[in-house]
Amino acid sequence: MPSQSFDTNPSEKLARYKPEVREAYARFCATGDVEAVQIVILAMVREHLPKPSDAPITDGQRLIEDLGYDSLAVAEVVFAIEDTFGLRIETSEIMQISTVGSLKAFIARKLGPQGV
Amino acid sequence: MGANANNTKGARGRVVVTGVGFITPIGNDWADVAASLREGRHGFGRVEFFGNPNVPVKIAGTVRDFTVDSTNWRDWKWPAHHEIARETLRGLAPHGVYAICAIDQALAHAGLPREAVANEDATGLYCASAGSAMMLHGHLKQMDQTRGERGNPMGVVSSICGTLNFNLAAHYRITGSVCGFVSACASGSHAIGYACDDIRLGRLARAVVVAGEELNAETLLPFAAMRALSSQSDPALASRPFDVARDGFVGSCGAVALILEDAGVAAARGARVLAEIAGWGQAADGHSVAMSHPGGRGLANAMKRALADAGVRADEIDYVNAHGTSTPVGDRAEALALKSVFDTNKKQPRISSTKGLTGHPLSLSGAMETAFCVLLMNEGFIPGNPHLVNVDPVCEGLDLPRTTLNERPGVVLNNSSGFGGSNVCHVLRAV
Repeated sequence: MPSQSFDTNPSEKLARYKPEVREAYARFCATGDVEAVQIVILAMVREHLPKPSDAPITDGQRLIEDLGYDSLAVAEVVFAIEDTFGLRIETSEIMQISTVGSLKAFIARKLGPQGV
Repeated sequence: MGANANNTKGARGRVVVTGVGFITPIGNDWADVAASLREGRHGFGRVEFFGNPNVPVKIAGTVRDFTVDSTNWRDWKWPAHHEIARETLRGLAPHGVYAICAIDQALAHAGLPREAVANEDATGLYCASAGSAMMLHGHLKQMDQTRGERGNPMGVVSSICGTLNFNLAAHYRITGSVCGFVSACASGSHAIGYACDDIRLGRLARAVVVAGEELNAETLLPFAAMRALSSQSDPALASRPFDVARDGFVGSCGAVALILEDAGVAAARGARVLAEIAGWGQAADGHSVAMSHPGGRGLANAMKRALADAGVRADEIDYVNAHGTSTPVGDRAEALALKSVFDTNKKQPRISSTKGLTGHPLSLSGAMETAFCVLLMNEGFIPGNPHLVNVDPVCEGLDLPRTTLNERPGVVLNNSSGFGGSNVCHVLRAV
């Protein structure tokens, strides 16, 4: 079980997300399944695209150059992740994240050893 | 497009209105607003805050076709034909949604596509807003809950007083001047006044003026704490400016936009001109943080200055759209100010307060009522004071019609007063 105090009721924080995203969040909360976190992070990246799109999002895509994120959108998605997973992410850490894959890996590291 | 296209150096430009857009309790377009004003149809609905029937505010001027009562923009709804991108929505306050819809409507009314004001150095943006107390409350509550460790990154730009100008400047790609006005209930009139000056001085060719206000517990109930709101639940009794039994104002919301242009620039593009803003004036009370000067000193001076700026005599004014919020002190002060400006032995203007129908939308009121005046001059009628039953004796000698008059006003004065005794008046002339 994760050691942090998570909101395990996905109908609250992720109410606007698709059922499979809420289920993934609930699975992570119950089992610490890091694969489930990836589903949630990807959905949050999509939710905070400044220009909405249904196009596939891949790990190699850069948030700013490829997905059209600006620095405010990066701050927004980081805030949403912090709020959902009860994390604290420093500005210096945000500066190290450029691609979707690096964001997913970073969050997995943040949650991983402590969280399972 | 160059500023001051038709002005010789030193000559003062003329400012004309070429478009208006309405999101108001009495209608969300020109035709609807015109019908409401002509028929004396109010825009009040029942409201309840905190699910608490003991809250002493029962009715308010509400806007139709919008749902913006959440602090999360993802919950908001607005008429589908207005396009608002996610990258704009994320930084908006609820009244920013109203404002965009009003500006889009005003631009279309003026025959201008959005592209005509984008990256156009001679176009400015003048906004009136008190910010969003609701958004500020929501964001700070979130910050409290994390004991200051994190907050919404859009918390500042979606809530503080400049929220309209920050967001709309980016949304419309405004590259001329961009500014905001925070003189409470005179803000909208200040925005128009300074926009006029920048056009008259040749600094700009065109200005988008917009004022907005939202209706929620955080915005409205602090006025109940001041005992400034009517406690009536009957819409016909709640907002009755100049009536002896008036007991406070009715809160309301919305946004109104006006497109102001240098007359030469408007003529050069063949624009339909709706009215001229012939002049404006302002003066302060120097009296109280919230109460009007008991004799209406500042408002009288503001009216005189507006008349002088326009080169218009008092007896040339056909209609005054009064500030008239329906508060005991404010209406009395305005009545005395009007009597000191308009000689009761000479031709009197018709006077009405359209807040009897709309309620008082605070920062929005001056711009909304200026736009109403533009509409009246084009539609050819003067709205009455339909909720006025027993005229306060202090108004003796003033011409306060109860019902709509089929008279086309040619020269109109619009009054506004805000907290701190900030008074702003505009003179409009039909074209």
